[in-house]
Amino acid sequence: MKESTEHPGVAGSALLLLLLSVFACSPVLLGAPPRPDSLQASVTVVPDSVYAGERVTMTIRVRRGSDMLTDVELPDSAALSPFMLAGRRHFSSRVSPALGEERTVLDLAVFGSGKQRMPAFRLVYRDQEGHVTGTQLYRPDAAVFVKTLTSPDVKRLRPLKPPLQPVFPFLLVMPFVFAAFGLAGAVLLVLFLVKRKVRFFAETVDPAQVAGRKLRRLGSRLSGGMPPAECHAELSAVMREYLERHYRIRALEAVTQEIERDLRKLGVSSFDAIMTLLRQADLVKFADSRPSAEESRNSIRQAEEIVRSGRNQGAL
Amino acid sequence: MQHAAGLEELGREIAAASAFLDRAEEQIASRIIGQKEVIRRVFIALLAGGHILLEGVPGLAKTLIVRTFAAAMDLRFQRIQFTPDMLPADLVGTMVYNPKDMEFHPRQGPVFANVILADEINRSPAKVQSALLEAMQEKQVTIGSSTFPLPQPFMVLATQNPIEHEGTYLLPEAQVDRFMMKVMVDYPSYDEELEIMQHAAASGDMPEVRAVVRAGDIAAARRLIDRIYVDPRVQRYIVDLVFATRKPAGYGLASLESMIEYGASPRASIFLLLAAKAHAFLQHRAYITPEDVKSVAYETLRHRIIPGYEAEAENVRTDDFIREILQHVQVP
Repeated sequence: MKESTEHPGVAGSALLLLLLSVFACSPVLLGAPPRPDSLQASVTVVPDSVYAGERVTMTIRVRRGSDMLTDVELPDSAALSPFMLAGRRHFSSRVSPALGEERTVLDLAVFGSGKQRMPAFRLVYRDQEGHVTGTQLYRPDAAVFVKTLTSPDVKRLRPLKPPLQPVFPFLLVMPFVFAAFGLAGAVLLVLFLVKRKVRFFAETVDPAQVAGRKLRRLGSRLSGGMPPAECHAELSAVMREYLERHYRIRALEAVTQEIERDLRKLGVSSFDAIMTLLRQADLVKFADSRPSAEESRNSIRQAEEIVRSGRNQGAL
Repeated sequence: MQHAAGLEELGREIAAASAFLDRAEEQIASRIIGQKEVIRRVFIALLAGGHILLEGVPGLAKTLIVRTFAAAMDLRFQRIQFTPDMLPADLVGTMVYNPKDMEFHPRQGPVFANVILADEINRSPAKVQSALLEAMQEKQVTIGSSTFPLPQPFMVLATQNPIEHEGTYLLPEAQVDRFMMKVMVDYPSYDEELEIMQHAAASGDMPEVRAVVRAGDIAAARRLIDRIYVDPRVQRYIVDLVFATRKPAGYGLASLESMIEYGASPRASIFLLLAAKAHAFLQHRAYITPEDVKSVAYETLRHRIIPGYEAEAENVRTDDFIREILQHVQVP
């Protein structure tokens, strides 16, 4: 016990020296190229089950130091059987400053039948100048199961399957569709209600009141210099609108003779006055007759009288 | 109210000049019972220089109406029965060899008359139909190398039987469009039929029809019709009606949009105006009103509107379209 307390610094220094010497010899820390057998290679195959003549994709990944290069060497076509090389691509990437990755993608057509182990390949290591520094045979454990519907001796390459179209995500869109329909429905409902309300108000407005207001306005426009012929044409339109709404006859799209026939059927009290007014307006509109301002004023007065008498008589 | 001076004077002239029509109407009524609207349409076509397509079942006195009309108007009448074996030369005439002078001379066919009744026009092949329709359009006929003008007035009244289509050659739309009006001859009313029966049973002889029109009356009437005033409002109303057959949705008739395959052609606007003017003349008026236009709208438009498949499936007729249009297009 005593002895050990006497030499603790010597034992610690010896351990530190030992550790330093071990690290100093380590190739990674010293920046030396890694040994080929320390490299990691992995192989993946998709899909793992195909029909004879179809293709599989074999991906070889090799992790290596950033100061060296690797290459994949495949055996000749005879040795490759029952596989046939259809295409090959190579990608390099840097995983970390000291570590790189080589990815070799092989498109292999597969023949035969049953479980087929993926072909062996050789990894070739090179230094920065391209000199081969070593090789390593790699036998992957991955395999593919070949299904065949006809003879297992078939050597014909099957055509490539067309790429699958991405499926439209209907379920994701459905809430928006429902929301749009809901919104449209709500808008239509509002429009319907507004229209009904407007119609209700329009129906409750007294046509005689409307016509009276329009006739008063027409009278003031005539006094303001409106041409009498134009006044007569407008008077006719006001009266037709009034007749249509008050007596519920088709007057806006009817000619004077049709209005005459309908009013006669209804036994309207001011029939003669209405017809005189409409016929006068027809003469102005279609026969180029020119009334004086006084005549137009008289016609407006007559129209007001017709509307008043119709109001007293009541709507039909 | 100050009336247009020219129109008042024209109105008086029209009243005097149209008196012959009243006389002719009386004469025709002495032989024809009922069918007054058909007769008025024939007058309108004659005054407007148009032709008529008469359609009605057999036995409605179509031939008698036309024959009587021609007699009352003092016009040369010719009835041509169209048959499947007919040739254009049978209609317009041909070149005939004269052995005396050893030359070909034109011999005019039955089309050289004032009033032609083309009976069952759809029984003859297309070449004969088109020969007649060309004569209608050009008002002249070419035989060999000579061209002969047709006598004036010249009016064709073609009849079609609507219930019998076997062995007939349907008139193409382009040919039908050349007729100013298509007049439907309907059955007489109960009282009219009773009267027809009593007259027919009383004696075999028909009442005599006198010619009541002086030479030049029709030409003078046509000149007056040309002067009839048409207000721009009425012109626009006519165009509105025709446009409503083409674009019904624009006139609040969206339901007709799919029903009408083809609307009326520009000929419809022209004939509608001419027929409305002639109608105003019959009313002794110097201006036309929308009433005149409406009165002739059915006859002028019905053969120019081509109904679509949907209309045929739902048994909607062109007259129904016209009724809808007249009820929706605002009158000026």
